Amino acid sequence: MADPVQAAEEDVFALLVERKKWRLHHIVYLAAGIGFLAWCADGTNLRLTELASGIPKIAKYFALMVPPKWSFAEIVWKPAIETVYIAVWGNVLASLIGLPLGVLAARNINRLASVRFVAKSTLNLLRSISELIWAIFFVAAVGLGPFPGAVALGMNYAGILGRLYAEAMENIDPGPVEALQATGAGRIQVILFAIFPQVLPQFVTYMLYWFEVGVRSATVLGMVGAGGIGFELVTTIKLFEFRETAVILLVIFGMVTIIDYASTLIRSRIY
Amino acid sequence: MNQEPPETTTPGQERNPTMVSVKDVSKTYAGAGATEALRNVSIEVREGEFLVILGPSGAGKSTLMRCINRLVEPTSGSIIVDGREVTSRRRELRAVRRQVGMVFQQFNLVKRLSVLMNVLSGRLAYHTLWRSLIYSFNKEDKRIAIECLARVNMEHKTFQRADTLSGGEQQRVAIARALAQQPKVILADEPVASLDPKIARQVLTYLKQIAGELGITVLCNLHQVEYAREYAERVVGLSRGAVVFDGPSGKLTDDILQQIYYRDSEAGDDDDV
Amino acid sequence: MTMTFERDVAATLQMEAAHRQRRFAKGLGWGGLTVAVLWFTADQIGMNPLALIKGADHMWDFLTRMFPPDLSYIFFLGRATVETVQIAVWGTLLAVVFSIPLSLLAARNTTPLVMLPWFTETWQRLSLHLLVFHLTRLLLNMLRGINELIFALIFVSAVGLGPFAGVLAIALHATGMLAKFCGEEIEGVDQGQIEAVQATGASKMQVILFAVIPQVIPAFISYSIFRFDVSIRSATVLGLVGAGGLGFSLIKTMKLFRYYETATCILVIFLLVAGADWICSKWRAKVI
Repeated sequence: MADPVQAAEEDVFALLVERKKWRLHHIVYLAAGIGFLAWCADGTNLRLTELASGIPKIAKYFALMVPPKWSFAEIVWKPAIETVYIAVWGNVLASLIGLPLGVLAARNINRLASVRFVAKSTLNLLRSISELIWAIFFVAAVGLGPFPGAVALGMNYAGILGRLYAEAMENIDPGPVEALQATGAGRIQVILFAIFPQVLPQFVTYMLYWFEVGVRSATVLGMVGAGGIGFELVTTIKLFEFRETAVILLVIFGMVTIIDYASTLIRSRIY
Repeated sequence: MNQEPPETTTPGQERNPTMVSVKDVSKTYAGAGATEALRNVSIEVREGEFLVILGPSGAGKSTLMRCINRLVEPTSGSIIVDGREVTSRRRELRAVRRQVGMVFQQFNLVKRLSVLMNVLSGRLAYHTLWRSLIYSFNKEDKRIAIECLARVNMEHKTFQRADTLSGGEQQRVAIARALAQQPKVILADEPVASLDPKIARQVLTYLKQIAGELGITVLCNLHQVEYAREYAERVVGLSRGAVVFDGPSGKLTDDILQQIYYRDSEAGDDDDV
Repeated sequence: MTMTFERDVAATLQMEAAHRQRRFAKGLGWGGLTVAVLWFTADQIGMNPLALIKGADHMWDFLTRMFPPDLSYIFFLGRATVETVQIAVWGTLLAVVFSIPLSLLAARNTTPLVMLPWFTETWQRLSLHLLVFHLTRLLLNMLRGINELIFALIFVSAVGLGPFAGVLAIALHATGMLAKFCGEEIEGVDQGQIEAVQATGASKMQVILFAVIPQVIPAFISYSIFRFDVSIRSATVLGLVGAGGLGFSLIKTMKLFRYYETATCILVIFLLVAGADWICSKWRAKVI
């Protein structure tokens, strides 16, 4: 005959003891984490002294940008639009390359593990190499200008979009796929009629999102000569033309905001 | 095993040819505790019959049906549909599947496509690849599709998106899709399990009527005894992967139903089949 | 019954024909527009597939100069790789720290009604609330809209070369992304849980702490891990403008025409990004 209250007390005590053991474990992790962060901060020169001297320097820098030299906008709006064009074709190429690779990389479409592996690895390789590095490569190949920039963006984004497409295709409802297989339709017919219609809205969402991101990425391609507003930007910064830099930043900001707004509108229309 | 020779012949059996012949089919799923889903199942189905396969869930009805159109590969045994052996060789399999329509419990329509497009996709097996690439169908296909829709009284919703329809309507469209294949056999895997009784009866009536009118052989998986009694001419009782009854639905006594449904709970009585 | 059947079928067939014509016209319209836009754009940026083919031997030249990569160079890249990771770590960490207050300000339902002594009228409080909200959103959009590399350039110009500029650049951009994302999450929380806590008589701050924040924490953590993944990728190129990391080694080897070493840099970047990707997806799976 056990005293229920005593039994309850013993349970609570046991729980507290458990908690205490647990806490020791956690303290070790916490200490390791803090140590790691301290080491990182040291490696990146992130010290309070640096911050203390750096922040005022940055503030002064931004102060010199006001007021922006509005007349400069006349010169930069054309390269700015070029940036958007680069993003457009970059994404078109990315879809053209990424979609077939994504189809080959999807588990439910492609039974051959070897082909899937090759497709997935190609996509990973394309993704990991930054569009700037691609841009350097293509500028060396075809010369300066926005064209190599678009191709470079396309290469990098092909990897990103391709992988997203493959994941989207792997996550569809398998029911209609089975149904179409049961009618005797061929593999490609099943893909066209059961898989694509299901993933289409996601595809569109991805394309719109990455177009937005693409515009932002394309702004710096000019640094390596691949077109867009990057070149003007780098020039004004290197020449310490603060007020002109400010204009370019505002133009970029305005462009990105408009596109952001437009794509939200389009997205709400589709759904 | 409790297979009784049918004493009264069902209408389908008066005609000669055997449409579906399942011979000694077994299916074992590999893995921890290898489960025997089907055990030496043999059934002969004549052309034009409306056969109900009755049994509790897990009895193997779905596995059996999927072996017939080879969505599942049997471990042993053979299946012959309309004189053709069902193999996994691609060309031959496609030819067989073309003749075998399937209706699923979850309807399995492509939600974003229109009703018409869903039914038309039943015609894909008759097409070459090139035409499908541009999503085009010829006039004859469309006529067949719309006729099939009209047969299930869904032609007024031809252009609606499939996900705007109710459950019963979606299932009727699914039946139309199967009909569009102009099949010799229709496999219905628990077609009404997700529907409420009134709609379920509607769907089963459509299935039975149309199949009768068009001379299509229907195999229908059900777990509801009352539907089996109402609609089936012949019933095959399946329990734990083995056939325990094969005869006219009139002969479904309570004893036999006990066998089908409560076999699992028989203490220690592991199979003797 | 057969007569009506035939008639229905024929009628529907006709409707289908009309439908198809309409859809075709629509498709043609949109298709034509898309083609026009793409053509114009291609012309503007000088898309020239032939140039690619002609440039193929330049590309081949480039590639052959990179193969076989000088794998021994990996030992020289150790420091740069470590630096890249360190930049990403602190960049993301600072972003997380700044995002916590900023995301609360950027969400309509948690922007505080500022209780300053001289704002006693409700309309004054409300307009200040809206002002704070919109200003925050504006700030975040500015941080988001500007590429990390641009920030890096500016900071290098302001505080000098080195990873410090890189950390700040990543931190600012990531703050914009993270805070905006979380702001939207906060706006989308389940009202029911908020009402439940409100009903107990809790103050606004307590409602935020106990009903709002717990709901958004999983998404916040998941997105932070994602941002870390992205930051690693960005950190690899920051060196191109002198803000530390592997990018600097990359550009250095290229300028010295030591392409065998450039290839090694690219390989190391690839491995780093792939590794970070893998770790992050495992980590996110654990959190969710």
